[in-house]
Amino acid sequence: MFKHYPISSGVDLYIRPTQQFKTVTILMQWDREFDEISAAHRAVLSNVLQDSNERYPTYAKYKNKLDELYGSTLITDVSKRENKHRFLLFSETVHERFVRSENHFAEWLTFLAETIQRPNVKDGKFDEATVRREKRSIVERIQSIYDDKDRYAYRQLIQMMRPDDYVAKSRLGTEELVQAVTPASLVEQYEAMLKEDKLTIYVVGDIDEQLIIDTFRPIIQQREYEEIPTYAPTVSTCVEIQEKEETNAIRQGKLNIGYSTPITLHDERFAAMQVANGILGGFAHSKLFQNVREKESMAYTISSSYISQYGLLTISGGIDWNEKDKVIRLINEQIAMMQSGDISELELEQTKALLANSIRSALDTVRGQMVLFDQYKEDYANFSAQALIKRWNAVTKEEVIAAIQTLKKEAIFLLKGEREDGED
Amino acid sequence: MEKIELQAVEETLYKEVLPNGLTVYILPKKEYSKTYATYTTKYGSIDRMFTPLHAKEPIVVPDGIAHFLEHKMFEKEEGDIFHTFSQQGASVNAYTSFTRTAYLFSATSNVEKNMTTLLDFVQAPYFTEETVEKEKGIIAQEIMMYDDSPDWRIYFGAVENMYRKHPVRIDIAGTVESIQEITKDHLYTCYETFYHPSNMLLFVVGAVDVEPMMQLIRNNQGARELTNEPNVERFIEEEDLTVQVKERTIAMDVFKPKVNVGFKLPAGQLKGQAFLKRELIYELGLDLLFGTTTPFYEKAYDEGLIDESFGYDVTLESTFAFATISTDTFEAERFREVVRETFERRNELLEAEALERLIKRKIGLFIRSLNSPEFIANQFTNYAFHDTMLFDHVEVYRSITLEDVKEGLEWFVQSNNSTVMQIVPMEKEA
Repeated sequence: MFKHYPISSGVDLYIRPTQQFKTVTILMQWDREFDEISAAHRAVLSNVLQDSNERYPTYAKYKNKLDELYGSTLITDVSKRENKHRFLLFSETVHERFVRSENHFAEWLTFLAETIQRPNVKDGKFDEATVRREKRSIVERIQSIYDDKDRYAYRQLIQMMRPDDYVAKSRLGTEELVQAVTPASLVEQYEAMLKEDKLTIYVVGDIDEQLIIDTFRPIIQQREYEEIPTYAPTVSTCVEIQEKEETNAIRQGKLNIGYSTPITLHDERFAAMQVANGILGGFAHSKLFQNVREKESMAYTISSSYISQYGLLTISGGIDWNEKDKVIRLINEQIAMMQSGDISELELEQTKALLANSIRSALDTVRGQMVLFDQYKEDYANFSAQALIKRWNAVTKEEVIAAIQTLKKEAIFLLKGEREDGED
Repeated sequence: MEKIELQAVEETLYKEVLPNGLTVYILPKKEYSKTYATYTTKYGSIDRMFTPLHAKEPIVVPDGIAHFLEHKMFEKEEGDIFHTFSQQGASVNAYTSFTRTAYLFSATSNVEKNMTTLLDFVQAPYFTEETVEKEKGIIAQEIMMYDDSPDWRIYFGAVENMYRKHPVRIDIAGTVESIQEITKDHLYTCYETFYHPSNMLLFVVGAVDVEPMMQLIRNNQGARELTNEPNVERFIEEEDLTVQVKERTIAMDVFKPKVNVGFKLPAGQLKGQAFLKRELIYELGLDLLFGTTTPFYEKAYDEGLIDESFGYDVTLESTFAFATISTDTFEAERFREVVRETFERRNELLEAEALERLIKRKIGLFIRSLNSPEFIANQFTNYAFHDTMLFDHVEVYRSITLEDVKEGLEWFVQSNNSTVMQIVPMEKEA
C-alpha cells in the first residue's frame, strides 16, 4: 500500500502516490516510551507549535500564511499507543492543479519544514506568553473531561481496573505536571524529541517523491534513537469484581462494565476477538444492541469496545439507573450465550461482512490509510484490506467462543442521577 | 439522463428526474472502494402543520414525528432492516434535522442489492400500535440523553429563547410528553405526504457504474404506482426578528460555565444562488470578526476569556435563520461585552486583504471536503433542497465583496434580535 523508504536508524518514510484525492497529506509521528513528564510537555508543545514559528512569530501571521496557501492545515497533537507517547504533526493541502498559484507545493513544504526546524524560540526558550496560555488550555482540557459524562464514566472504570498501567494515564499528562512546564524545559523536551524519538512519516497524494525527500532530509539526520521496550499488559490478580457508583445531576445513567483478556492485537487470536466483539456489541445487529436495546428497550445506546492494545473490553450503555440490575443481568446473558456457543451462522456472516465493509470504507480516506497501515504493519507484512478480510473470513465459531471465554469481568461503574424514580 | 461536467472541481455529475417525481443524482469517484447513497425527504421537525396528500384542510401533528418516523422505518414485519444491510455487508444509518430526514448506506460490496434494499425499505412503511408504543421508551431515553448534554442545551437553549412560535424552537425529537400522543395513523399520514418521490432526492456517490445504477433505480421506481405530485403545502411563517427571551440561565452539573450569544437573522425564503451567497456572507462576516486570526480572538484567548471550546455558527433555512457565538468561560459578562464591542467596531475591523485571504482558505477547505463522499451527498442534498448547487461554492466565494459582508453584518447590530443563553454549575451540597 505504501512504498517504504528506510532513511536511517529510527526514521522511516512511507509514500503512497495516488490520484484518488484532491489533496496531498503528510503525517509525521515521533514516538518514545511513555512517561508523564514528557507527556505533559509534549501536550503543551502540540499547542505551542501550532501557534507560530520563527518566520511567522504570531498566530495571526502564521495562520495568514496558511490561509494564503489555500487553507492548508497544520495540526499537532499527542496520543498514546501501548507504552508509547506519540507526538503527531498532520498537514494537508489542496493539490496544485486546483489553485491559481505557482510553486504551491514547494511553499507548503517549506512552511512545514520551517515550523519543525525553526520554531519560535529565543535564547533557548519558547515565547513566555504563548507557553502560559497554552498550558492553561491543556489544563482546561484535562478538567473538561468531567463535563463529558460518557468519557468521564469510562475513565472512572479504567481507573478502577488498571490504576498503574499506561491505559489509565492521560496522553496529556497531569494538571500538576502541565503547570510545571517552563518555556525552557519545553525547548529541552522538543530537542530531545527531534533527536531521540522514533520518527515515521506518511505521505499520501500525487506529489513528486523527490520533493518530499529533499524537504525532510535535514530533519531526519543525526538521530540517537533507542528501541522502545515491548509492552505487556498488566494482569490483575484481583479475584472479586469491583463495583462503584457515583451520582451527578444527569437524567440518563451511564453504565460501564470492564473485562480483561490476554488477547491483544499482537496475539494470533486477535482476528477471532475482533469478530467476537463485533457479535457481542460492535454493530447494530449485535447481541447487546438487539437484546438490550431493541427487544427490551433498556438502553438508548449500548455497545462493546475492544481495547486491543491493553487487553481490555468494555461494555457501556446509556440507561435508566433504576434498571441497573436488570441491564447487568441481560448483559451477562449475552456473554454467557456466546460462551456456551449460542452464535448463529448469520451472526458470524453479518459481523464478518461489516468488518470487511468498515475496513474498506476506512481505507477510502487519507487518514484511514495512514492510521490503519501504521497500526497493522507490524503484524502484517503486506498490509491491505484484503489481507485482513482473509483473516476474518477464516475465523471459526469455535475460535470466537474460545476468545469470549477468555473474558474476565473485573469492574462495574455506574454514573447515576439524583432522582430515584428517574422521572421529572 | 443529464451529464454535468464540473470542470473546476474535476467531477462529473449525472442527473435524472423520474416520471414519479424522484430526482436522482449519481457522482462516480475513481479509485474509491465504497458506494455511499442518501435517500432524503424534504421533511423535518419544523413541518408540524401541513395539508396531507389529497386532503383539503391542513392538520397539526404532535411534535417529534419526523424523528419518530425515521426510527420506525427500520422496523418491518419481517424484521429489522439493519439485519438485511448487515448481511449484505453494508452499514446503514439515518438522521432527522429541522428540515430534512435522510436514510443512507455505505457499502463496499453487494452495491446493487443494497441500493434496492435502501429504496424498498424507505418505500414500505410498517407501523403498528405495538411497535409505536415500544419506540416511545427508546426515544424517551434519547431525549433525556440530549437533555443531559450541556453542549446541546447551550445551543438549543438559545434557539428556544429566540423564537416565540416558529417550530424550530421545538426539539427535533419532540418532548417526552409530546411523543406519547403519537399514533400509527399520524405516522401513515405524514409518511404518505412527505415521503412521496416528488418530495425526495436520491444521491449516489463513490464506486458506481452510472448507467446500470440509473437503470436499477428507474426499474425500481417504475414498479411503484405513483405519479408526480405538486409540492406539499406547509404552514410555517417566518417570525419578525424580535427575540422572545433576551436572557436565560440554567444550572447543570458542569465544571465551567457556558455562554451562547444568539442572533435572529432574516431568512426571506431565499433560494438559488442568492441563498448560498447569503449563507456564505454571514459566515465570512463572523470569520472576519471572530476567526482565529482576528484581534478579538488573539486578545480573548490570551486573556483566558475564551478557550478551545469557542466557536460560532450560522444556520440559514427558508423560514428561519440564526447565528450563535459561544464559549466556556468564567467571565460571561465580559465575553458578552467584548462580542458586542467587536460588532460595533466592525467597519474599522474589516479589510479587503483579509477577506481575500479568507476566501482562499474557504476555497481550499471546500475542495478538500470533496474527498469525502459523505460530505458531497449530504451537502448536495441540503443545497438542492434550496434550489442551488453545492458545486457553486467556488464561484460564489469569488463573487463576494467587502461591501456584501458589511451589509450582512448590519443584522448583528439591531436592537431586539439578540439573546443570551447561559449554563452555570450547580450549587453542590457540602
